[in-house]
Amino acid sequence: MNDTTLVTRILFQDFSSWSITLFYLLGYTAIGIFAHGVYTQVRKYRRGRPLDIGAWRQRAVNMVQDMLTHRTLVRRDRKAGRAHALIFFGFALLFIGTATITLEYDILQPLFGWRFWHGEFYLWFSLVLDLAGAGLIAGVLYMMYRRQWLRLPKLDYARPDRSPEDPDYDRRDYRREDWAFLWALILIGITGFVLEATRLVWLSGQPTVWDLRFWSPVGAVMAHAMQSVGLSPEGAGLVRSGLWWFHGLLALTFIALIPYSKIKHIVTAPTSLMLRDPLAGRRLPKVPEEQASAGYQYITDFKWKELLHLDACTKCGRCHEACPANAVGAPLSPRDVILSLREFANHSLNAATLPEKAELDVHGKAPGQVFMETLWSCRTCLACVEICPVAVEHVPIIVQMRRKLVEDGNMEPLLEKTLQTIHKTGNSFGESKRKRAAWTKELPFTIKDARKEAVDMLWFVGDYASFDPRNQKVTRAFARLMQQAGVDFGLLFEGEMNAGNDVRRVGEEGLYEYLATANITSIRDCEFKSVVTTDPHSYNTIRNEYPDFGGEFEIQHYTTVVRELLLQGRLRLRKPLGYRVTFHDPCHLGRYNKGFDAPRDILQMLGCELVEMDRNRDNSFCCGAGGGRIWIPDAPGTEKPSQNRMHEAGRIEGLQVFVVSCPKDLTMFEDALKTSGYEGKFVVRELIELIEECVEYDESPALSVEV
Amino acid sequence: MKIVVAVKQVAALDDDFEIRADGLDVDEDFLMYDLNEWDDYSLEEAMKIKEAAAEGAVEVIAVSVGPERVDESLRKCLAKGADRAIRVWDDAMEGLDAVTIGRILAGVVKKEAPAMVFAGVQSSDQANAATGMAIAASLDWPHAAVVAELDYQPGAATARIKRELEGGMLQAVEIDCPAVLTLQLGINKPRYASLRGIKQAAAKPIEHWSLGDLGMDATQVGATAALSRVRRMEIPVKGRAQMIEGTIAEQAAKLIEIIKEYKGEAA
Repeated sequence: MNDTTLVTRILFQDFSSWSITLFYLLGYTAIGIFAHGVYTQVRKYRRGRPLDIGAWRQRAVNMVQDMLTHRTLVRRDRKAGRAHALIFFGFALLFIGTATITLEYDILQPLFGWRFWHGEFYLWFSLVLDLAGAGLIAGVLYMMYRRQWLRLPKLDYARPDRSPEDPDYDRRDYRREDWAFLWALILIGITGFVLEATRLVWLSGQPTVWDLRFWSPVGAVMAHAMQSVGLSPEGAGLVRSGLWWFHGLLALTFIALIPYSKIKHIVTAPTSLMLRDPLAGRRLPKVPEEQASAGYQYITDFKWKELLHLDACTKCGRCHEACPANAVGAPLSPRDVILSLREFANHSLNAATLPEKAELDVHGKAPGQVFMETLWSCRTCLACVEICPVAVEHVPIIVQMRRKLVEDGNMEPLLEKTLQTIHKTGNSFGESKRKRAAWTKELPFTIKDARKEAVDMLWFVGDYASFDPRNQKVTRAFARLMQQAGVDFGLLFEGEMNAGNDVRRVGEEGLYEYLATANITSIRDCEFKSVVTTDPHSYNTIRNEYPDFGGEFEIQHYTTVVRELLLQGRLRLRKPLGYRVTFHDPCHLGRYNKGFDAPRDILQMLGCELVEMDRNRDNSFCCGAGGGRIWIPDAPGTEKPSQNRMHEAGRIEGLQVFVVSCPKDLTMFEDALKTSGYEGKFVVRELIELIEECVEYDESPALSVEV
Repeated sequence: MKIVVAVKQVAALDDDFEIRADGLDVDEDFLMYDLNEWDDYSLEEAMKIKEAAAEGAVEVIAVSVGPERVDESLRKCLAKGADRAIRVWDDAMEGLDAVTIGRILAGVVKKEAPAMVFAGVQSSDQANAATGMAIAASLDWPHAAVVAELDYQPGAATARIKRELEGGMLQAVEIDCPAVLTLQLGINKPRYASLRGIKQAAAKPIEHWSLGDLGMDATQVGATAALSRVRRMEIPVKGRAQMIEGTIAEQAAKLIEIIKEYKGEAA
């Protein structure tokens, strides 16, 4: 025991020199296959468009935090996230362990004669690796259980955009790959432990091994079990030599296959996390002036980063589960868009030379191509981007592909008409420009024209709040609130146009540029401190996208403004409302811009009892109007996302008011309330209406909410 | 081989509009301009012929008569793929009508010598449905109006067409080329001109022709040459429609009351 160098693990003991040579040959072959795979993958990514990433340090820090905390993986699937953590940390430690041995045995010792892998270091090493191996096996066992017995719908690869006769309908090969991956991991782990146990039995005569066996607790327990069934040291040695090769070959095959299989994600997922764009979907990419065609037609139009994102997907199904289009049976699953494109890229970009241009077209009906109706089903609600544990950015890709569809006129006639209308009149209602502020006529006071005089707050009203008769009532109510609170505010009147948020998400980038630059010019000509809007869509594009066009404005959604006015006592409340309410987070306020708290704070101040729906805050369920879908009729006979949401709210016992804070939500949900049979059971109200009911006015214009 | 497509920038009215002080037209402040809907279809038909032919074999020329604002509509035609755009204008043309416009467009056709001339059946604002036929009359070319189907190979001596008649009937016609056709809505599905396309088309030139370029003078095309002129424009007095509300019985009673009133009986 005095010579600590004896406290270590044997490597290649009793191996003939040819078998050691054979092992090294196999090892180098595996590394060679691995390296070739890495080369072809990197070549594939390089066939995408260039992109300057920048800020690598901060990106790396965020990625390491994501990995260490597993924060993206435990969301909405805590058990799977934890099981993954066991596998991840187990695998990582085992990998580091093996690399440590290589470092000593193949590099430091032969070159410098340095040895450190013995004695106390070795003992701790073997304890940690034993625990790591146990964790790995436990994690994989749970994953196997989950796949085999939980039958989670999100792990069903059957596609909503294909029919069962299509060759790529249910992607059976993926399931085989999943299982092969799990079996490979668990077999490597189990054989590792069996090897350890047989080694202990085999060397049970050596005190430097046997006396310290409980530093490898799992192996030691197994060794005792083997002895108790009568395994002799010689027998153990025999079993071990056979198993050693099996374990070794399995591990080497595993390494060789990394770039060619699902295992790839151990590299692509962290890289993808590192490439995460915090504004993905919130701020869509500009089309460079010199670029001839607007969107993505060919797989080579994708940026290299996007090609890499495609490879990070592990088919966890979180996006599939969160997608409102998928939930109502529309032919779209964000997961399948990503997988299709990945298959397409692997098929066309892996070869040494690029195929003909025509074979690179990602639009169409062939396997791997993305259907037009799939792209048009997206509501750009960002649920997929938000939940993706590996930072795949589905929505920007979908919009880029839509840009191509729009350029070719491949869209619903009604949508095409709406885009033309917006171009002609500056609003989606086809109303004349001069009628934009017609809603103000019924107010007992006049609102300032911010183009003519300075104001504190410039109110960007937005299309729905300006022209939709139901929303006009809310718009007037907000004006009364601002007036009551003594806020110095004004409008752009005819100077305002559709903000362009949804036009951009449709993919009509030229029209968006036209609208954005026109609005920016109008806003810039006014003198004001900050912008306010009741429309989360306008809020998003002005806040996140106008800066790219030179319009840097401070903007708030009305919920934060009103909360402030209430806190400052500039608006006084009469009595608690006492309603039992639920709140629907608008995508563009909540998920897009993290405005979760202000509306809830206001509801609390109003004395409402807030009962959350299951899907709330960042998991809020889109009303179905986003991404231009409000201009595209839903297929008759199918459930609308808004109806799906109404049923969710309907499950809340004693619900009185379904509260929204977005003009489009009000339109969508008042409609869905009727069509899904909840009329008379509860009402849909804009938060402004509840505030109006509660606020004390000097002159009382308040309308009562009928509950 | 050329195809000339005659297009028009039409005006749409605002909900509340006013008549100009001279009483001859709507105040331009209340008009929104856009390319005539029919012209989307005739341009598309020309584009389909162009795209089916060999590259560069067919040249599509969009032509319009009107002031500078018309350039915007011609730019849309360029965005949709027209090779050239010509705008003809001269202050002497003020006061023109469908017949003089036809005469001017015929002047362009003579200079360009196309194999086909397309126009829309009518314009959505004036609805004279005359310009296309006026071109044919000035040229003394074969013509067919309200074409719903067209089968034409570039350079062919004849074209087979189907004209839309009343009552859902179609009339199959073979026509000698060059000819003037006015095309009906629905003959094809016009493509969408993306804003980016329109912006990029801004780089393409629009040719501006004046009377001199056509070898014409004001006596041929001015207000005096026009066969019609606007004397007055007015908003007709609204009818006396009213919504009867109440229960069925109340509505019926009210209706009887109104009928009696009209018959001159005392209520």
